Amino acid sequence: MSQIPGSAIAIRGKGWQLGAVSNPFREDLVSRNRPEACTVVIFGATGDLTHRKLVPALYNLAVDGELPPGVQILGFARRDWTDDFFREGLEKLNREVSRTGHDEEIWASLSASIQYHQSEFQDEAGYQSLAERLDAIDAERGGKGNRLFYIASAPEFFDDILLNLKKVGLSDEREGCWSRVIVEKPFGTTLATAQHLNSVVNGTFEEKDTYRIDHYLGKETAQNIMVLRFANAIFEPMWNKQFIDHVQITCAEHLGMEGGRGGYYDKAGALRDMVQNHLLQLLSLVAMEPPTDLSADGVRDEKVKVIRSLRQWDTPELVAENVTRGQYTSGNINGKEVPGYREEDRVDPESETEAFVAVRCMIDTWRWTGVPFYVRVGKRLPKKATEISIHFKEVPSVLFNASPGGVPDGNVLVIRIQPDEGISLRINSKLPGTTLRMEPVKMDFHYASSFGKSSPEAYERLLLDAMAGDATLFARRDEVEEAWRFIDHIERAWHESDDPPPMAEFPAGSWGPKEADEMLKGEGRKWRRL
Amino acid sequence: MSATFSTEGLGVPVEVAAIDGELKKLWEADDASTNASLMNFLVYTEEPDKLVANSEMIQEFTRENACRAVLIAMDRKAPEPSVKAWITAHCHLAHGRKSICSEQISFLLSGYSFGRLRNTVFAHLNSDLPLVFWWQGEISDLFEERLYSILDRFVFDSSVWSDPAAGFAKITEAREQTRDHMVTQDLAWTRSYHFRLALAGLFDDPVASRAFPDLEKVTIVAQKNQRTTALLLLAWVAEQASWKTVTSNKSGDVFEFDSKGGRKVTAEIEWDDSGAPLGSITLAAPDCEVAVSRLRGNKHLNQSIRTEGHKLDVSGPADADDSSGLVADQLSRGGKNSLFLRVLPRFLELLGGRH
Repeated sequence: MSQIPGSAIAIRGKGWQLGAVSNPFREDLVSRNRPEACTVVIFGATGDLTHRKLVPALYNLAVDGELPPGVQILGFARRDWTDDFFREGLEKLNREVSRTGHDEEIWASLSASIQYHQSEFQDEAGYQSLAERLDAIDAERGGKGNRLFYIASAPEFFDDILLNLKKVGLSDEREGCWSRVIVEKPFGTTLATAQHLNSVVNGTFEEKDTYRIDHYLGKETAQNIMVLRFANAIFEPMWNKQFIDHVQITCAEHLGMEGGRGGYYDKAGALRDMVQNHLLQLLSLVAMEPPTDLSADGVRDEKVKVIRSLRQWDTPELVAENVTRGQYTSGNINGKEVPGYREEDRVDPESETEAFVAVRCMIDTWRWTGVPFYVRVGKRLPKKATEISIHFKEVPSVLFNASPGGVPDGNVLVIRIQPDEGISLRINSKLPGTTLRMEPVKMDFHYASSFGKSSPEAYERLLLDAMAGDATLFARRDEVEEAWRFIDHIERAWHESDDPPPMAEFPAGSWGPKEADEMLKGEGRKWRRL
Repeated sequence: MSATFSTEGLGVPVEVAAIDGELKKLWEADDASTNASLMNFLVYTEEPDKLVANSEMIQEFTRENACRAVLIAMDRKAPEPSVKAWITAHCHLAHGRKSICSEQISFLLSGYSFGRLRNTVFAHLNSDLPLVFWWQGEISDLFEERLYSILDRFVFDSSVWSDPAAGFAKITEAREQTRDHMVTQDLAWTRSYHFRLALAGLFDDPVASRAFPDLEKVTIVAQKNQRTTALLLLAWVAEQASWKTVTSNKSGDVFEFDSKGGRKVTAEIEWDDSGAPLGSITLAAPDCEVAVSRLRGNKHLNQSIRTEGHKLDVSGPADADDSSGLVADQLSRGGKNSLFLRVLPRFLELLGGRH
């Protein structure tokens, strides 16, 4: 008999065991862990994330028949709303943003399971009444039930929410039922704050019941990285320092600080907002060793080894050499004049926060030593695009170097994360004609062309995984802390040293500061033109 | 008598020997479109007048399944052997931006000519891409080893067969010959996918779960022409629940099983042509009833649990009504269909009344 991590459920020969009762109908029906019915309690339920992402994700799971029957949704927030008002707002947004459109019958069925609970996040009595309400929901459902707490509030309330859940016993495991928590980013702002938050989370929930969400890991193309590497025999033998010259990971955003996002962003900056979580997660998927199995810890053990092996830029000099930060000045994007970063709404006019960062990452492992991973992210770049490009070494110049133009650049494998998800491979080919001329050509795979069916939203997959007790696509405590360790050195050099590396500038609508170009140019490389 | 029907909608008539060249011209004439293909999708019928309807079906099918479609209609009654061919492309805007096109070759094969079906298939495949072969109607003698040995997925609908036992015997032989390389897909099985998913979901509920060992009655309601659909669903229930088949009545619509706990379980299939193809399944214990049902034409399944003091009603998605929708749904799920193969012996047992 084997135990499923994170649940009281066991597989005994055939079918599922819940206590002494089994559900053999589940067997072999779908090739994934079984999501279990539960009550999803969303803290920060009046916010944008709940309305635009979480509830539409649950709705789309219901449309696809993936949501377990009996799932209840309970929104928890400070505003004095009624159940009906909450549902109406959710319905309005669902009509606008749902991936599959809005089906009245499915919505009616889901909506009947949605309730709202008003309370301050710091008010213990509100959690006491929440516990009573959850007990009532469970009683109506015929016994004890599973609970999934989703903390989607502002980060300053994370501690209050977790401590109050513990105080009223809502984080306690009950026989045959689980209580899990999903924590949204930002998971700390420094290593110290992340460690503190981890201690609060793990003082409330066990690590196996803790799901730190990074929605990039729920994206179809991010999941496809492992498939590409380990389900195709042609790539893995070349996936090392012998054949790969360098790797670039780019996350470009054409938007600036519209919609009031300057308030949050100016406190966080590109490094903490994107690199610490999303981009280092992508980097670890690209660089990790093959896991021993596809279990959550099997995969995460390998990912954390990558983060742990990052060479630390732990002096201001090393930071200056390997990291470029920048802010955009006013410029032009898509024919529209846009302000500079310091002129943006809710941004300090003397802000020292970076809206662009490029980092040279070195992974000191047997496989990757000497291969730089260049990571860049920025606002107000020419277009929205996230991609990973693997730049292979050039062929020895012994055969074609005498031909006109020589051999074009080396092969590049590009994994496009968003938008226009897909994979392309640049290879060199002979131009038709009597002379030997070569040009690069591109073999291109587009998800949208090949699979007409739209991919599920990242939150759909991640919510289902949390209900199924599968933490593979969630960050583990040590991953988060190791990533912060790397980031903290850079932040300290920028903000605490006597001689901080300078803040570069670039016009909005360009591909970042020239200092970022210089970082690669000095090594005979250049950023890929997206 | 040879078939006479309008071939409008099949595209440009072409010489069979010139198909590749004509397809190339078709793409060269249009720079704005992308030719995409994930598989060779072959649709075969021995009813020639279905060729145009199949082309219309492919127009919809390619919206989510980029492929090279090869439609073959065989007019076996025609006195003289002849071959006619047409080419066309079905284009769709992907995410409102790019025009993604799938090419289609249609063949009308008339009269008898040895090995012509398989040779037509062999000659017009996109290399390296999987071959999905949808055989519409009864499985005939043209389903032979040299043909099925190259198939990756074989799609059929046992509910339209006049003799399901004979049809499944051919499928079983083909699977054995191909050493299980060929994935088989019965649309009668696919038709109950969401019913099975919903039933499994309902039995996650603690109340239904507790009632499971006490189940004593299964009722399935289906249209009369969906006998194999209903029997496959019942076979799945019995197989998953480890019930031993004891008896069946002469007309093959009432069965008795022994549950693992020694309880007698009666199963009955009721025929209702006014309802949905698969109308409902109800599993009843003395104090609990679990049901999944669908009204004719409704896109949703109603899922319910009824017991004293506990009531659950949920709506979920229903399976497609049309065959092409079922094929598309199944292709999007992929897999080796191993559950179907595991249930198949039990289904054949119920079908043949051998206990």
